Amino acid sequence: METIRQIQKKYCTRAITAAIFAGFFLILAGQKPVAKGLILATFFSILNFILMGETLPLRIGKSKGKTFMLALSSIYFRYIILAIPLIMSIKFEQLNLFATIVGIFMVQIVILADHALKIILSTREKQV
Amino acid sequence: MEFEPQVIIKIAAYVGGGLCMGIGAVGAAIGEGYTAALANEAVSRNKDLSGDIFKSMLVGQAIAESASIFALVIAILLLFMDIPVPSLLKASALLGAGISMGFGAMGSGVGSGFPGGQACKGISRQPKMTGRLTTNMLIGSAVCQTPAIFALVVALILMFIDFGNVPLNPTWAALLGAGISMGLSAIGSGYGGGMAGGASCEGIARNPETVSSVTTIMLVGQAVTQTPCIFGLLVSFILMFKAFPETTALSPSMALLGAGISMGFGGLGPGIGNGMAAEGAVRWVARNVKHQSELMRTMLVGQAVSQSTAIYAMVISLVLIFVV
Repeated sequence: METIRQIQKKYCTRAITAAIFAGFFLILAGQKPVAKGLILATFFSILNFILMGETLPLRIGKSKGKTFMLALSSIYFRYIILAIPLIMSIKFEQLNLFATIVGIFMVQIVILADHALKIILSTREKQV
Repeated sequence: MEFEPQVIIKIAAYVGGGLCMGIGAVGAAIGEGYTAALANEAVSRNKDLSGDIFKSMLVGQAIAESASIFALVIAILLLFMDIPVPSLLKASALLGAGISMGFGAMGSGVGSGFPGGQACKGISRQPKMTGRLTTNMLIGSAVCQTPAIFALVVALILMFIDFGNVPLNPTWAALLGAGISMGLSAIGSGYGGGMAGGASCEGIARNPETVSSVTTIMLVGQAVTQTPCIFGLLVSFILMFKAFPETTALSPSMALLGAGISMGFGGLGPGIGNGMAAEGAVRWVARNVKHQSELMRTMLVGQAVSQSTAIYAMVISLVLIFVV
């Protein structure tokens, strides 16, 4: 199970680093609610990703029906957690809603960006 | 018992939010269940690779879940958003938004599970191709999200555009129809796109040398598979933005609602059918790469024929909107 921890560490570190860097520049640009929304939602995105990894082994070795029910329960549980920054950004003006929406996809954005970069680099290597 | 517009808005937003999250989560759960089931098979085939298999499963499921997170965003907005000008028209738009995103996330959620599952299975067969399998899994899953993104766009338009100056009757039906058209037509395309993505991972594991041919056919197949939901998007846009004259009769409203239902259900089957054609071509090009061009041609002809029913549905929708 060490590799799951490694992959979580890799993507979570990159996601929070990206959010903090973006947040820093946004605060410098005077967009404090945008920065706050982005960083807060990224934290919840990471929490969701970690919980997803923790529940994965529970789904292995079960029937399709049980796996489906476990997956559904896991989704509902994790989405209640993901809903927190969204509700907060709707209720409080200190958090920008759009930035919060972007933030809850930060782990997915980092995963896709990482693989896109790998494809670009390998294509360039082949050309050289 | 009489209802104030504010109460009706709340009812529509709550029902829309419930439908959106409830249906949206089912798709992702089925997809995740499928991935986990194939990961079981992969781990039992090659236990030493269980770490790599879990890793791919986790990354694949993170991307596959995007569609249902879109549904979560729309559901939360529906439940907690303040409506500045409450009207019956807005109530219809909010219900349409929930339907659009809920159903729109379903197909993408299920479909994204196929590349994830086949990548896990493929890693156990071809451990050296782990990197390439993960890349194809991510491309396949990401393309699967397209119909859900279309549904998200329609839901956001329905929620945030002010339809205040248009007549209530028949526009309420047009807005509800727009949500139905987009949501239902997205199911088939999301599911079908996933079938092609899954077959590509299976094909790479079967014959790693065919990776570029398999990826090319997968992308072409997935692109054509998205067509029915593009028709659904088109009908949705017409329903949302065409100005309809005010009427007291019920039949124009029913015609517009029927237009949405026609395109929604009409796009569902062709999306899956196109996915089947793409899945077959991708699977067989891995076994017989020499016949790539013939397989591509057969796939495109098959998809074009399968597409025709979506075109009929679109024609009927347009007749209901512009003629009836």
